[in-house]
Amino acid sequence: MLEFLLALLTTATVGALLVPFLRASVTSTDRLEGELAIYRDQLDEIERERAAGSLGDADAAAARLEIERRVLAAADAAQPIASAASSLHRLLPPALALAIPLLALGVYLKIGHPGLPAAPFAEATRPPADRSIDVPRLVAEARAKAAAQPDDHDAQSALGEALTLEADGTVTPAAIAAFNKALALQPGDARALYYLGLHEAQAGDSAAALRRWRDLEAKSPAGAPYLPVLRAEIARVARAAGIPADSAMPQPTREQQEAMATLTPEQRQQAIRGMVDGLAARLKDNPQDRGGWLRLANAWKVLGEHAGAVDAYSQADALAPVDDRLLADWAEAHVRGLKPGEAPSPPAVAVLERLEKADPRNGLALFYLGAASFAAGDKKAAAARWKTLLAMLPPDAPIRGLLEQRIKEAE
Amino acid sequence: MTRRLLFLLPLASLALMAGFLAWSLMAGRDPAAIGSVMVGRPAPRLDLRALRDGDKPLTDALLRSGKPVIVNFFASWCTPCLAEHPLFTRLAQRDGAVIVGIAWKNKPEEARAWLAKLGDPYLYAGLDFDGKTGLDWGLSGVPETYLIDGTGIVRYHFRGPVTEKDVTDVIIPFLKAKQ
Repeated sequence: MLEFLLALLTTATVGALLVPFLRASVTSTDRLEGELAIYRDQLDEIERERAAGSLGDADAAAARLEIERRVLAAADAAQPIASAASSLHRLLPPALALAIPLLALGVYLKIGHPGLPAAPFAEATRPPADRSIDVPRLVAEARAKAAAQPDDHDAQSALGEALTLEADGTVTPAAIAAFNKALALQPGDARALYYLGLHEAQAGDSAAALRRWRDLEAKSPAGAPYLPVLRAEIARVARAAGIPADSAMPQPTREQQEAMATLTPEQRQQAIRGMVDGLAARLKDNPQDRGGWLRLANAWKVLGEHAGAVDAYSQADALAPVDDRLLADWAEAHVRGLKPGEAPSPPAVAVLERLEKADPRNGLALFYLGAASFAAGDKKAAAARWKTLLAMLPPDAPIRGLLEQRIKEAE
Repeated sequence: MTRRLLFLLPLASLALMAGFLAWSLMAGRDPAAIGSVMVGRPAPRLDLRALRDGDKPLTDALLRSGKPVIVNFFASWCTPCLAEHPLFTRLAQRDGAVIVGIAWKNKPEEARAWLAKLGDPYLYAGLDFDGKTGLDWGLSGVPETYLIDGTGIVRYHFRGPVTEKDVTDVIIPFLKAKQ
């Protein structure tokens, strides 16, 4: 309806513009007639002055001659203007008056969107993101759960998150206390680490926040669901604080990411492999780069190239001993390459023994060192390790049956 | 001839206006910046009832204690106040700043609940329920923050929320220099 009215209005305007052009052809003869009227007046004036005696006969004749000459010149001048300019003058305004609305209509039909809502209106009609959650109920539930399970780090960090949500995203002192409690129970609680970093960013210590977040990013498993949010927050805070956003792992640029998104899974895998190969080649030239070896190890691990990961971990370890967490990753890379029932190789055993020393209750170390002892003929040691592991396992662990059977074999 | 020039007048004024608007866009100045007449002058009068029960009323003496003071106008209904709040908490806790908080056009119970939830960084907290003190101080809204030296002279005036950059570049050096 509105479109129709607008079209009507445009048509009316164009019509109003066109009508005078089409009706009255403004020509230069009008001007000529105006000039002639003036000259006629001037001739009458000369005649009056001559009759009154203020102008002599000779002077009057000269003046009349001059005016007559001008009349001829004016007529001459009017002729070419009339012919040369008239066609352009007559056609251009109506042509423009028609062409502009037609052009506008064409452009509109090409790129316009009838019914496109105005931008503020569109924003107002979108439901606010947070309001779908019943925040007071969420807080009450989180509080009840945290009180009921004071030793559950997840309940504590969930409470902190609810309190933060309640304060519209500001990490409040109560939330900080909950997160610290969660971290005391479980030092690696990602949610608590994320929100404590957010608090640092809010409290004006963006550098500390970025350190914490990058550390969390580096320690997170590759497919962790919070990683996109974490990376976006790192980028946001780094930008706001004017700190360059280079993290330990060079992030692909936006173009590269977009290019990646268009690839098939096989091509993508190949592209990733190409990047990892590039890193491996760089490390051959610069083998002292311990951080590079660790990145390479992680990349091989993600790609399932356990032999490559094992090699990269040992290169890094040769430069400086790896910490307990990396030791577990290293050991895992070793045993992932094993066939079922196969005993770990001597280098794997060396890594597993270091892991066991660092963490005597590490399940991976207990299981595979048990297997190594068993293969070496030390059945007593094997049974002891497996029994320790069995005692640690939850009653419904699927591996229990296998473990019990192997203990029986060892005894 | 002069009549023809007259016809150019609308075009010339349009060009002039377009030039001015283009300059406004390009010059990179912040059209929201108002500036402040308070800087360099003695702080306006302070005579407010306390926000927290049992506290003494706020007086001018607080601003002339010989120590620099941060005066922060806030309100529980103001979202930017929420964003800058952790910065004041940090300034109070880590840098030992003396911060005077003034709840502006805010119901006292709401302001108190807000502080209970977010933490209270204010050594002194006053209530400017009708906004009269804000008027004296040249407030255009909340949040606004004033840095006042030990003799009661306003040295800085932040309109809008204080940022991390303001804290590290201006407020902390100011507090250190005046102590």
